[in-house]
Amino acid sequence: MTRLTPLLLLLLLALAGCGEKEEPTTGGSGETEPFTVMLDYFPNADHAGIYAAQASGEYERAGLDVEIQAPPDPSAPLKLLQAGRADVAITYEPELLLARDKDADVVSVGALVQKPLTSLMSVGSKAITRPAQLRGKRVGTAGIPYQSAYLRSILEQAGVDPGSVKEISVGFNLTPAMLSGKVDATLGSFWNYEGVDLARRGRKPKILRMEDLGVPTYNELVFAARRNELDEDGASRLRRFLQATARGHRLLERDPGAGVDALLEVDDGLDRGLQADVVEATLPVFFPEDEELPWGYQDPREWEAYERWMREGGLLKQPAGGRAPLTNEFLPGEGLDPGVSGLQ
Amino acid sequence: MGAALIVLAGLAAWEAIVRLGLVDDLLLPAPAQVAESLWSDRALLADDLAVTTGEVLLGLAAAIAAGAALGVTMHVSRPARRALRPLVIGSQAVPVPVIAPLVVLVLGFGLAPKVLLVALVCFFPVAINVYDGLRDTDADARKLLRSLDASRWQTLRMLELPSALPSAFTGMKVAAAVAVIGAVFAEWSGADSGLGHALLTANGQLETARAFAATLLLFLLAVTLYGALSLLERRVVDWTPRSDPGGP
Repeated sequence: MTRLTPLLLLLLLALAGCGEKEEPTTGGSGETEPFTVMLDYFPNADHAGIYAAQASGEYERAGLDVEIQAPPDPSAPLKLLQAGRADVAITYEPELLLARDKDADVVSVGALVQKPLTSLMSVGSKAITRPAQLRGKRVGTAGIPYQSAYLRSILEQAGVDPGSVKEISVGFNLTPAMLSGKVDATLGSFWNYEGVDLARRGRKPKILRMEDLGVPTYNELVFAARRNELDEDGASRLRRFLQATARGHRLLERDPGAGVDALLEVDDGLDRGLQADVVEATLPVFFPEDEELPWGYQDPREWEAYERWMREGGLLKQPAGGRAPLTNEFLPGEGLDPGVSGLQ
Repeated sequence: MGAALIVLAGLAAWEAIVRLGLVDDLLLPAPAQVAESLWSDRALLADDLAVTTGEVLLGLAAAIAAGAALGVTMHVSRPARRALRPLVIGSQAVPVPVIAPLVVLVLGFGLAPKVLLVALVCFFPVAINVYDGLRDTDADARKLLRSLDASRWQTLRMLELPSALPSAFTGMKVAAAVAVIGAVFAEWSGADSGLGHALLTANGQLETARAFAATLLLFLLAVTLYGALSLLERRVVDWTPRSDPGGP
């Protein structure tokens, strides 16, 4: 009973959405404020810039005691964010739009990865080099509705009857399904991770990227925050977090090894060679193409086009409009484009 | 001896299948590769094994305590039985991925959620076997005690509990066997160490040999736990030795 009571209290607190809420501090020098980051998946090279920022003391200098947490499963970060278990969660642009469609009061505050990482992948002598070759083939997907919609879009634009292609949901087993020849191609593996891994192992994967196949481009990984937490103190913490994370990515750009070292420090089961190669492959998409734009910049026009595509595909139920799903106002060089902020 | 031969023959066939290239070794590593990973990753795997073993032991202990208490409560109280039985049975149909985020929400990411998830998977065989064991007491002995005017408590302590022990051990052994997979599920719900976590990382990096090495350790952990409980059973329940099922 004595053990149960605090648990119930905690549950109530968490349900009330204030489990992690901090009392306003004076923001004085030397004191650091706790700040929890929920990752999208177990720590890997996609997070190298964050770990580089952590290891080099950027967060501490920003007055934050950052805890980086892996989620129970890839669909959980937004739920845990909403429940107050994290200050910022890494999620996917489509997942954030879906949550917003279900009235979650979350907003994307920066892009971790600028481009889609999801790709159409195949191996072997009959690898798919053009989408038109998918006619009559079997494609393995993770069973995520918007990724199935990518496949339909790709087929339509390539003039292939979607009915002629068999989509097989293989869950987390995309690579095994492909290697065993049970599917002719997969849609859902990341070109920078599974793609690099297979290439390192001499399997010569053929990789086609979503934005090259007619799927509107999007930010594969974004930082999401609770809109109602972005009062003066929350905004200050978030701004400091994003600025320190940006510096972590600049550090990673100069010295990729530092990020890899920091990653292996958290999980020594990671393969150094693989992580280093993945970091190298991902570096270009950690930053906006236009060098004038700050790290983390999200292009509102791209978001609009992607959201329209989702809505046309019936993936979003609510009509267009409502509060903007993204804001760039907390990024380094804040106030750069106040017109896109949904937070005035 | 026979078992060893079967295992050896199986391993040889397995090795040959992979060596001949009949199966992609990213899907199925050869036994030699698994053994090599077991050796070269020993420092890594030893730490993970220690973490998972800790989770399993604590979870199992919690499950045995809670399961036994539930079994006794359901036995002695009809209202408790009516209220609890459907819940106890239904609890086994709840998939871990559904409750894991909730458990994480309440308990965070430390040891506590793993222990709870292991206990949730394991308490059921203990509770049901204790309950059934308590019911299946010798009717004549029960009559005798009643004629001697024994109280409910005396009947429970002197007759029902001792006679439920063999059944309780069965429950505990089943629990021990499933505890390991419970710990793996728990670690898949957010962990930074343990064999379940090692499996996830290894699979994510196509390091199938290491995944198989971790699986082998899980296998051995389950067998060891089961063996330890069987040994304990032989010590505690010395009046009803389990007989050899016989056969040629």
